[in-house]
Amino acid sequence: MALTTEPLHIQLQPFLLARKNFYQLLHLLFSMPVDVDALIGIKRDEIFEELGEFHEGGKILDGYFKHLTVEQIKREQQEFQRLFIGPGLLGAPPWESYYRSREQLLFEEWTYQIRELYHRFGLQYCKENNEPDDHLLLELEFMIHLTDLCFQETKDDSIEKLLATQISFIEEHLLIWIASFCEKVIENTSSQLYLGAAMLLEDFLSFDLESLVEVREGSILCLKNIH
Amino acid sequence: MSEKHPLTNILANKMQRRTFLKWSGAIGLPVIAGGIGTKMLVKRKKEAKAVGTKDNEQIISTCSVNNCGGRCVIKAHVKDGVVVRVSTDSQGSGDLSAPPLRACVRGRNYRQMLYHPDRLKYPMKRVGKRGEGKFKRISWDEAIETIASEVKRIGDKYGPESRYDNYASGQCWGLHGGSASVRKLLSLTGGFLNYRNDYSSGAGNVATPFTYGTNNSGSSFDSLLHSKYIILWGQNPSEMIFSTPYREYLMQAKKNGAKIIVIDPRYTDTAIAFADEWISILPTTDNAMMDAMGYVIITENLHDQAFLDKYCLGFDGEHMPDGIAKEESLKSYLLGEKDGTPKTPEWAEKICRVPANKIREIAREYANTKPAALIQGWGPQRHAYGEQIMRGGAQLACLTGNVGKLGGWAAGTGYWNRSNIVFPFSYDNPVKASIPCFLWTKAVEMGTEMTAADGLKGTERLNANIKLIFNMAGNMLINQHADINKTRKLLEDESKVEFIVVSDIFMTPSAKFADILLPGTTFFERYDIGVPWCFGDYVVFGEKTIEPLFECRDEYDVFAAVADKLGVKEKYTEGRTILDLVKESVERTRKELDASFPTFEEFRQKGVHHFKYDAPLVGYKEQIDDFEKNRFETPSGKIELFSKTLWDMNQHDEIPAIAKYIPSWEGPEDPLKAQYPLQLISWHYKRRCHSTYDNQEWLEEAAKQEMWLNPKDADKRGIKDGDRVQVFNDRGSLLIDVKVTPRITPGVTGIPQGAWYTPDTNGQDQRGSVNVLTSQRPTPLAKATPQLTNLVEVKKA
Repeated sequence: MALTTEPLHIQLQPFLLARKNFYQLLHLLFSMPVDVDALIGIKRDEIFEELGEFHEGGKILDGYFKHLTVEQIKREQQEFQRLFIGPGLLGAPPWESYYRSREQLLFEEWTYQIRELYHRFGLQYCKENNEPDDHLLLELEFMIHLTDLCFQETKDDSIEKLLATQISFIEEHLLIWIASFCEKVIENTSSQLYLGAAMLLEDFLSFDLESLVEVREGSILCLKNIH
Repeated sequence: MSEKHPLTNILANKMQRRTFLKWSGAIGLPVIAGGIGTKMLVKRKKEAKAVGTKDNEQIISTCSVNNCGGRCVIKAHVKDGVVVRVSTDSQGSGDLSAPPLRACVRGRNYRQMLYHPDRLKYPMKRVGKRGEGKFKRISWDEAIETIASEVKRIGDKYGPESRYDNYASGQCWGLHGGSASVRKLLSLTGGFLNYRNDYSSGAGNVATPFTYGTNNSGSSFDSLLHSKYIILWGQNPSEMIFSTPYREYLMQAKKNGAKIIVIDPRYTDTAIAFADEWISILPTTDNAMMDAMGYVIITENLHDQAFLDKYCLGFDGEHMPDGIAKEESLKSYLLGEKDGTPKTPEWAEKICRVPANKIREIAREYANTKPAALIQGWGPQRHAYGEQIMRGGAQLACLTGNVGKLGGWAAGTGYWNRSNIVFPFSYDNPVKASIPCFLWTKAVEMGTEMTAADGLKGTERLNANIKLIFNMAGNMLINQHADINKTRKLLEDESKVEFIVVSDIFMTPSAKFADILLPGTTFFERYDIGVPWCFGDYVVFGEKTIEPLFECRDEYDVFAAVADKLGVKEKYTEGRTILDLVKESVERTRKELDASFPTFEEFRQKGVHHFKYDAPLVGYKEQIDDFEKNRFETPSGKIELFSKTLWDMNQHDEIPAIAKYIPSWEGPEDPLKAQYPLQLISWHYKRRCHSTYDNQEWLEEAAKQEMWLNPKDADKRGIKDGDRVQVFNDRGSLLIDVKVTPRITPGVTGIPQGAWYTPDTNGQDQRGSVNVLTSQRPTPLAKATPQLTNLVEVKKA
């Protein structure tokens, strides 16, 4: 990281913004496709065109959104429900506990580890004890929350701690199960939307972990140089 | 990624990452840059009041109310609102007045069931064709609104007889539950078509009272401690439980020196655990063996003439009803005086395959060893002429004078009951019409054409076919009813049944046929009191352990909401919650039935209550002890070995006045055997309760779904142990793995009942769901299920 006199939190802004956008995009892609305006907006702005040039999942998504119709969104709602909601056997259960417990159950210890993390940050799932806390969308939302906190933080050591939290959250949770989750999505869907989204999710999380580690190391170095 | 050269990898990744971020940093679309919509992570409220803390495990005693004959104690170990494991009754054995109510393998699996990812989680409405399995998530409001308006629409258009709550047993042994809720609602809004009888002991329930006046021909388990000889005829409590502590008593009876005989086409776990001797028999031929035993007993003068003279009608020519010829007596039949066929053991051996000398031996032992208990299971009566089997057993108990005596047993259906609680949630259906439960598909197809000959009661004719079905925690809508392929066609026709509501905890084969599909709760998620089938002196408290998961909801509350829409909520709830019902049951039980019953708090604390008695209950003891004062509830007041009522029905071939062997369609003497040479039976598997738990992986590991075939039959077909085979007849076809074992009688094959119907695109079942092969032809008298009467062929798949 280049040596500069700008404060750390200012230097990090573009990085954080880019990450937040990414997480929000992933969050949108893995939410029930009911926000027609948002999806048509992606098509209109050709959001994925550039990504498609260097990422396979991006390419699939670009192709998908180029031909997106309102009819298609309706079919996708059914596919979303088949994969993640039910009834019955789910194509890809979207909970961490399912992938990490030996018996593939919900509400196993990982659900509670996640819950504790939320609590530590003064948060809780609005359906706590009714639905598991380790749903994909909640874990993504939590990453967005941590990124937001980083944004608002000006103290260097606090920023560093927040970065460390994000690193361990990805390392100890998201990345451990996301690969199996994405594999299940890819195996069980012929939807280009979920195929592309799954490929993108898995890769982005690995990349995000690497960049966070690098950025954190850079920040520590930067702090040492200053003091 | 990792297969590439590491350095190239890092560089490539870095390149891509920078591009990634460059790309995402530039996204200006407000919906992305602006943040996600509704946040699910909210500011944390005060500590939620979950049960147990993180470090302190709380143990909560609760109870499942499925259709097992027993009720066991389930102890939920709860930490921070989550069930972390389950255990069971830890009370020691030994005190038979309060035996431990321990869970079997099924009970050990409950945590797996509770937190299974496939639980139904949200209300759904059908979007594809019915049965196709396509659904859309809807709100509870929409679900309730739809149900309310369909209940009204169909009631208005076709009348209340078009509305039906289907036989369902997934949560039937508690105080409330889906069926009770639906019936209450329908009763308050005009009524519904009733059904009678059940799929368990359907033939017996109707037949036994023709002999004894009632079905209460059983005695309490502690009476067995006085038995010297016990015959379990087609009964298998080791696998299907029957009542949780039953085996404890059988074990003690054995220790006391009773000889135990098990008669069954399969060498069951019960035979392994308890039997001194296993008698293998061909299905549907039990009455041949019974007749021959009777023949031996009377020709060797081992019968109890004094008992027969005093208490029974129809044994011999001197004791016939007025106007009935002497040669119609039981004795005359057994000796072959009219038909020229004495029912000798040699005659029976040819039919039932039990060696003649073995029949003699069992007959002599049973007649000579007093007191002796002949206890009948219900598998044998789920047969074409199941009525005969239940009356036939009762006949033997009378010939030997074992009725009404401590340590004896009256055979027949064998209900007994002396421990009751108050059920405060009840309904009063203004519709009086009823059909036999097994004929519900007929009532869909041609209800208006049904008559008394089909078992229609309470009306001459129905005004409508069934148009609306509620199927609450049950699988009788397709899986457990006979002839799945026929039922499937019927349900797929949306012009016949116009609206189907299913509530369940998993996506069962029946749930696939729902128009509105509701996510029900497990017993962990609601209050209740669990009672065993009528056999047992115990009740178990069902504590609500955790809040319902996802959007799962108790049916009581669901139909309270529907009642609200239809303006009858007050009448429906009478202001009571489920917890109120439980409390009221306890209070009223103390007041109205049994002052020694614990208070609500005591019961809750202990988790279980054992009713105590000074002496065993002996079926028909009052009548036998003081016959002048206490008569049997039959037309003659006697035990009717010959029933004039049956005689007057004038269908002597299929509904004889005395129990006798009737060669069964699709039995061993049916010419159809040339085409389908194997008799197919099913049994209650130890890994399921009927069809409940079929999707549970642990239980499949404990006992997989497989068909039993004798080595002789396997060799003939080139089938080896573990092979996948096709089983078929004119009604359907299924695939299943085979277990080649001498534990099943040659010529017979067995498939554990309850596997979930899983058709491929050609409709061939892939899971071994036995009802693709069974028949809807009812038994002649009871109109009950003949689901264990089938001929099939088997070949390598």
